[in-house]
This record gives sequence, structure tokens and C-alpha cells, in this order.
Amino acid sequence: MIVILLIPMMFSCMPKMNTKVSEFPLMYEEHPLSILILPPMNESTAADAKQYYSTTIQEPLAYMGYYTFPYPITEEILKMEGIYDTELLVNLPLTRFKEYFGADAVLFTTIKKWDLSYMVLASNLEVSIDCALKSTSTDQVLWTYTGTVVVDLSGGNTGGGLVGLIAQAVVTAINSAAADYVTYARQANYRALYSMPFGRYHPQYNKDKNVEFIDQTPEEKAAN
Amino acid sequence: MKKTFAWSILGILCWFFLNGCAVQKQLYYFGDYSNTLYSSKKFQDEESLLKHKQELEKIISESETKKMLVPPGIYAELGFLNLKSNNSKEAIVLFQTEAKIYPESKYLMDRLIQMANKKDPEISAVSNSTE
Repeated sequence: MIVILLIPMMFSCMPKMNTKVSEFPLMYEEHPLSILILPPMNESTAADAKQYYSTTIQEPLAYMGYYTFPYPITEEILKMEGIYDTELLVNLPLTRFKEYFGADAVLFTTIKKWDLSYMVLASNLEVSIDCALKSTSTDQVLWTYTGTVVVDLSGGNTGGGLVGLIAQAVVTAINSAAADYVTYARQANYRALYSMPFGRYHPQYNKDKNVEFIDQTPEEKAAN
Repeated sequence: MKKTFAWSILGILCWFFLNGCAVQKQLYYFGDYSNTLYSSKKFQDEESLLKHKQELEKIISESETKKMLVPPGIYAELGFLNLKSNNSKEAIVLFQTEAKIYPESKYLMDRLIQMANKKDPEISAVSNSTE
């Protein structure tokens, strides 16, 4: 009885799924091992987002099974070389990162949103990150994904009263503490990295080709 | 017979469910790395930097007691902090350890070792002249 109930439940609410190998075949051809994380590009209105976000990428990427060059070191070396802004590197050949660091791939990250949006009855905290992993030998995009976390701070408690007050307090707390953005940025990272094929240090390396993930590509992009 | 069949299907479903949701055995011990790194970026003072350095040391010792591989970059980062505080000898040992565990880092580690070697005679010259 339970089984009969469970099966339709499992299939009815399934969003569009993709397998890792169909979406990112080059990852399984090139098998990048070492990844250099470039300083994030910031398109949000928060000036400090770049600095804070940069502290959240290395750890989850290592857990995915890749060798990640320590960001505090590479950031400083890039500065010594006069590279402060990743924007300048977007269309340049990436072989230099192979020559200088020995990196197989570089990770470009763009902070799309890092803010609170106030509406009449609700307010949202939104952190949205665009990621692209590019090969240093072919300059091709190996993997790309967007991680977005939207937190509805009013949570439907727009009726006011005590709950409304608490929601209000939460808004103020989040507004004042940048640390909370970092918490959600980490969530956004994990959401994005879920689609990434595992690296060589992970037990699932090369075994995850048919693992499915939810395709979050925006409709208009997919249509192209 | 029917009942056992139903139970076995339920068992299989549970297995899938548990596989999907169970916390996988972690690859590394990262401790409080992200938080102390974040603090050191945010406050940029001696205290938070020292805390981050202690966290790196803790990650190494904890990983050893847990018989886990020290996460990528931790030895190197600790080496870099040593290099910055003019402790080149210790820095070189740490860079070598990183390159030994993770051969793909050797290229960068050799570069850092070169930097440390260059720095070392300078330091000794400076400290000799001031003494």
C-alpha cells in the first residue's frame, strides 16, 4: 500500500533533469585535477561582496575531489603580477595559468546578486552566483552553473502582530551582519557544485556520469 | 509471499532514500577553516590572522589523528603565513610537504620555495646588521 502511494509521488513532481555527462562532456574528456580560483567578479551592488565571497569557494571545491590552489596565496601572487580584476582575463588565453601555477583549469565566479530587495509586503535576501570552469589547455568552458539562494524574510507573515515583529527583527539582523550573506553564499555554492562531476580525490570520481541534477538553466537561455 | 515482496521493495526504496540523504563520509577535516578565513579577511588584524593560523595547525593535527588526508592547500597556506612572518625555513618544509601529498601542486610549491630561499639570505643579513 505504502509503495503504491510512494511511486506516483516520486514521479509526479519531478522537474527537468539532466545527466552530468550529457551536460558537461568535456569534464570527462579532460579530467582536470587542479583548479585555480580567480578573484570573483562583482556585478552586485554590494562592494564588499567580492572579498567575502572569495572565502567560501575553496572548501566545497576541495570536497568535490579537486586539488584547489590555496586562494590566499594565488590571490596575492596575482596581485604581485598586477592582476586585481578577473574581468580583464575573461577573453584572454589561459595557458599562462598552466605555465605559472600548473593549473589544469581556472574557476571564474561572478556575483550576480548579493542584496536585500524590499517590496511592499515582503523582502527577500538574494545571493546569486555564476560559475564557469575553463580549461587552461583549450580555453573551453568545461562546466558552468548558477547557484541562487532566495530567502523570503517575511515568510508570509505579513499580517503583523508578534510574528511580523520577529520577521522584522530578522531583517534588521541580516541587514547588519554581512556574515549571514556568507552563510547563504555557501548554500548557493553547494547548490551550484551539485551539478559538477567529481574530481580525482572523490570516491565517486568517474562513476557519476549518469547522475541527474535539476536543470536550472533559465528558459530563454535553453531556447537558444 | 506478497507481503515479503512488498517489504523487499520498501527495503530497496529505503536504501535509495538513505543513500541519497545520509551524510556521506567526509573526504577531509576542514574544521572552522571558512569562518576563520572570513574573519581574517573581514577584520584584517593580527588577532584574526593568528586565529586562522591556529585553525590551519589544528586542521593538520586533527586530520592526522583522524587518519585523513590533510585538505589541499592547508600546508601551503600555513607555509605562506610562515613566509610572511619571515620564518622561511619552516615555510620551505611546509611547501615541500604540500608538494609531496599533492604532486600537482609541485610547480607552484617550487616557485614558493624559490621565493623563500631568496628571502632567507636577506633576512639573515638584516638581522645580522641590526644585532
